[in-house]
Amino acid sequence: MTPTTSAARILELRGITKSYGSVTACDAVDLTVDAGEIHGLLGENGAGKSSLMKVLLGLIRRDAGTVLVRGEQVALDSPQEAAELGIGMVHQHFSLISGLTVWENVALGDTGAVNKQAVCAEIAEVAARYGLPVDPEARVDALAAGERQRVEVVKCLRRNPQILILDEPTSVLTQAESQELFAVLGRVVQEEGRAVILISHKLAEIVQATDRVTVLRKGSVAFRAVTAETTAPELARQMVGRDVSLHDEAAALGMLPVRKTRTAERGAHDRQPPVLRLAGLTVEKGGVKVLEGVDLTVGAGEICALYGVEGSGQAVLGEVLAGLLAPTAGTVEVAGRRVDMSRPGALGKAGLGIVPEDRHQSGVVLDMSVTENLTMKSLDRLSGRFLLRRRAMHSEARRLADEFNIVAPSLDAPVRSLSGGNQQRVVLARELSGHTSVLVAAQPTHGLDVGAIEDMYARLRQAAADGVGVLLISTELEEVMALATWIAVISSGRITGALPVSDATPERLGMLVGGEAA
Amino acid sequence: MSVLDSTTTILASGVRLTVPLAFAACGEYIAERAGTMNISVEAMMLGAAFTSIATASATGSATVGLVAGVVTGLLLGFVHGNFSHRAQINTFVVGLVLNALVLGLTSYLITTNEFVSHQVHMLSIPLLQDIPLIGKPLFSERWPAFLLLALIPLTWWLVERSRWGLELRAVGENPQAADVTGIKVNMRRRQALLWCGALAGLGGAYLAVGEVGSFNQNMTAGRGYIVIAAVIFGAWRLGRTMLGCLVFGLSDAMRLALPALGVTLNAQLLVAAPYLLALLAMLLFTTQHREPGALGRPFERGST
Amino acid sequence: MSAASLTSGDEIARRFLARLRPGPGGWIATGLTVVLVAVAAGASALLLLLTGGSPSASAAAIWTGSLADATGWTTTLLNAAPLLLVAVGACICASAGTFNIGQEGQVLIGGLAGAWVGLRLALPGPMLVVMVLIAAAVGGGAWAALSALMLRLRGVNVPVSTLLMTFLAIQLVTFAVSTPWLQESAQGSSGIADAASNPLPANARLAGFGQYPSVQLNVGLFIALVAAVGVALVLSRSRWGFRVRMLGLNPLTAKHTGVRVAALGGFTLALSGAFAGLAGGLLLVSPVGTNRLQAGLSDNFGWDGLLVALVARNRPLVAIPVSLVFAVLRAGGDFLSATGVPYYLVDVVKALLVLAFVAPPVLIDLFSRRRGATPQAAPDMSVVPTKVKAAA
Repeated sequence: MTPTTSAARILELRGITKSYGSVTACDAVDLTVDAGEIHGLLGENGAGKSSLMKVLLGLIRRDAGTVLVRGEQVALDSPQEAAELGIGMVHQHFSLISGLTVWENVALGDTGAVNKQAVCAEIAEVAARYGLPVDPEARVDALAAGERQRVEVVKCLRRNPQILILDEPTSVLTQAESQELFAVLGRVVQEEGRAVILISHKLAEIVQATDRVTVLRKGSVAFRAVTAETTAPELARQMVGRDVSLHDEAAALGMLPVRKTRTAERGAHDRQPPVLRLAGLTVEKGGVKVLEGVDLTVGAGEICALYGVEGSGQAVLGEVLAGLLAPTAGTVEVAGRRVDMSRPGALGKAGLGIVPEDRHQSGVVLDMSVTENLTMKSLDRLSGRFLLRRRAMHSEARRLADEFNIVAPSLDAPVRSLSGGNQQRVVLARELSGHTSVLVAAQPTHGLDVGAIEDMYARLRQAAADGVGVLLISTELEEVMALATWIAVISSGRITGALPVSDATPERLGMLVGGEAA
Repeated sequence: MSVLDSTTTILASGVRLTVPLAFAACGEYIAERAGTMNISVEAMMLGAAFTSIATASATGSATVGLVAGVVTGLLLGFVHGNFSHRAQINTFVVGLVLNALVLGLTSYLITTNEFVSHQVHMLSIPLLQDIPLIGKPLFSERWPAFLLLALIPLTWWLVERSRWGLELRAVGENPQAADVTGIKVNMRRRQALLWCGALAGLGGAYLAVGEVGSFNQNMTAGRGYIVIAAVIFGAWRLGRTMLGCLVFGLSDAMRLALPALGVTLNAQLLVAAPYLLALLAMLLFTTQHREPGALGRPFERGST
Repeated sequence: MSAASLTSGDEIARRFLARLRPGPGGWIATGLTVVLVAVAAGASALLLLLTGGSPSASAAAIWTGSLADATGWTTTLLNAAPLLLVAVGACICASAGTFNIGQEGQVLIGGLAGAWVGLRLALPGPMLVVMVLIAAAVGGGAWAALSALMLRLRGVNVPVSTLLMTFLAIQLVTFAVSTPWLQESAQGSSGIADAASNPLPANARLAGFGQYPSVQLNVGLFIALVAAVGVALVLSRSRWGFRVRMLGLNPLTAKHTGVRVAALGGFTLALSGAFAGLAGGLLLVSPVGTNRLQAGLSDNFGWDGLLVALVARNRPLVAIPVSLVFAVLRAGGDFLSATGVPYYLVDVVKALLVLAFVAPPVLIDLFSRRRGATPQAAPDMSVVPTKVKAAA
């Protein structure tokens, strides 16, 4: 194959508009992608990145605008059409079906008769060409996260796509795995003349891996540039829509280099008396140890972070600390007293509050009122043995809503009617009410806009200042570095190291995440 | 001689009772692999049994009646599919209401109408039917019974080997992932229900214009639920589902035949056997992840 | 402290009305429901016309049999009590996110337990009635608890297991009535066992209030009404009810806040079975039933009660008027069949009515989504994640 150097325009989107009811997800978006380039698509959550890509994949129909592939106008009404045009996507979630084998998953989305031999041969060929070994006969539920990602990439590349879309591909990968992925992508564009669209909200990644970049903000294109001619702060400014001078925002946006925080400078070495102590915590799921002998201590008034990539065991630990999952072995001590993990609600009673990773699933009850959501954990205090005391619940809810600036149509309105940031505040307010001595915040800023992120950081710092021990579970390196005084790293269900933030560098943390001692 | 004869009689009656179950179970199997717990299979069978006799009576042709039964099943599958996989009404609610509606409607209509009896003709395979013991039961049947010989392999091929079936299984296992891959999840589920309706309709019509020749009130008497039990008993595998139908058909035949033979065996136990076995099967299998991952769960885009 | 939370009569009335108001979709849903009910009535009338019947005469017959005079009212109200009891039970477990569809079997097992107590325990006077009813509730509850146990131990889908258990219950009762436990003069002259138990003794029957020609009632209706109001209050006002609602709406959050998910879910399922069983006991001791145990004792009261709960969208107070409507259809249907129109017409009407009530909110949601608005309404009714176990 001859290397393609000409900047042939392979894809052109003109004036793409898509709205859901009154919400405009994409507003007249223009985007051009050339063969042989990695094009970064940068934007906050809700900026319209995924809607735009769904249009491009034929998953949703655009309201207006034209799409040109290799200069020809196309309809893009179905995923099949997108596939025929050579547009393929590596999805991050929900894309592989665990009950099926690898080859069946790869064959899904094709048309025509199913030919197992042909599919398996193609898998072997693609795997050999890009150095991505996979076993076509294996059932997907037996694969680890990294292997699944490989299957995703193979599945996509087998279609021989001219335009390859990757959606936040590195969130489940270690740094080393990410580097390998970008190496494969580099070969795909440079040697084979394909185009790659890399969707990310991580500035560092965009700056490192892309040739050109388009920034989306609130559904419109805010900025486009050749990556080498712009800077991370400029991109951040364009993404948020104002100058990003605050250090927290920079952290929230994943901007490097990382600066140490004031809290961090405040003697990270003399640790406070512990309010949360995990010892030998082990969780087995289907015979696999997803957490193995986790020891972790959080002192009063300090923010301790547990850093790792998706699938490293962070989510499992979050489930254990939310009381959703009983550990197979090990102990949890809150405020010096051992908690009986088999008793539901025991952690809460012992004084542990948690902002869970997926607030819709385990944080709030969307169809109950704000009042009910704010008071559901403190009914011992607010109600009688048998009957609810509505007035007491109401006044407590009013107090918390005022204290945490919860904006709601009414305290009787269902939490469903609140914005994401306000829902998150409801969770935080409830979990900090009462005699909370430990607060666990699991991915507390996922899906929030920059304003809400700043607010969340301020409140976590305030909680620590009030003497609450905070355990921050996060996949965001910059968030961890900005908030924590002490950072523990988890990899494959094990703590691979813990160090004060003053000793932490992205490189050292990266090695720990990869499972190596720093 | 009498033992052999009575064994043949029981076998023959068992096979006859199995055939309608097997037709409907092929359909229910597909619906469940696509993720629909379809309890309206009872309505499909009962409705088809009624319309097949009504149509046969009106046209004078049992074969036309059979076709009318299939069409009735298709219609009910269409209604169920659109209610539960377009309008997103809980599939159990839809099933309950359809069962109640069809039972009421057919019961009402059979008491207000007179129908002429019609039956499709017998088909006996020469030579094979003379095999002792199993010859008559297996090779001398009303002709539509032999359709099973084609429909069971066809169902298997559709699910396990065709692209449609691969997509169907994907939809039943993980509708979100199937959607992202470009499969129209709810459309596949509606199609599976159509297939289910057609086959359950064939089963119900076979019961009426095949075995019995007439329709009586609540003729299927819960056979649809036995079909569901058979699919569960078969742990969502076609071969074992068919085996379940045969076991249930034979136990029904025993119940009918034993008093005449002077054997006292608890009839209620035999009637209850399918349900009991299905419950036992669920107790044994559900932890082995045999059932389709998204069985009974509705799919809407955007709900994670 | 409970006095403090009680508010003025006006306030209570306002809240009561608010609960009666239609759910998501508001007045459009009400309008659509009215239209669909009219369509259902029209379809039923058309069915009558096509089969040579007279819609007006049939409507008149239903009226005469159910509401025209004291006899009609008596029949209607006696029918309403077991329907309401079954429906209230269905409301409880649906609020907790479990979908029990095996009430027909639970009614029967309740009847079985009640009949056993009624025939085998020689208790004096009204004690016997009370014991029959208690035994019936325990029996129905235990039957449903088996399904809860299967869910807990092996993750068996509740709608499926309760459905299959119904058919087991029918066979169990058919078998039981042929045994000497429940039938002393077991074998008839034909040598074939009767398909029913001996009748219960006279002191195992509920005394009626009121004498012919006025309305005759028994305490069954009051039990059902108290149950409906009580369950509504418990669900909305008590801590237990709060936990039940939390469990139904979001089992994970409920677990996080300390709810014993599996135990509470199983208990509400058993409780719904107990209400169905109580209805079965009532059918034994009340003139509306058969006074003896037989497989036909439940007579679709279980299925109908479930349909009442569906129409009432699992609100116990709404179930009161709905069960009355269904009771009118049942009572009127009996009278109708005496005029030569098959009773089954009423079954058709009932099924169409349920469709008319179930469809509107979903249709409105569907249309608003078609227009592109984000779905606002939560899937209401018992649109339950069938695998609550995943939370456990």
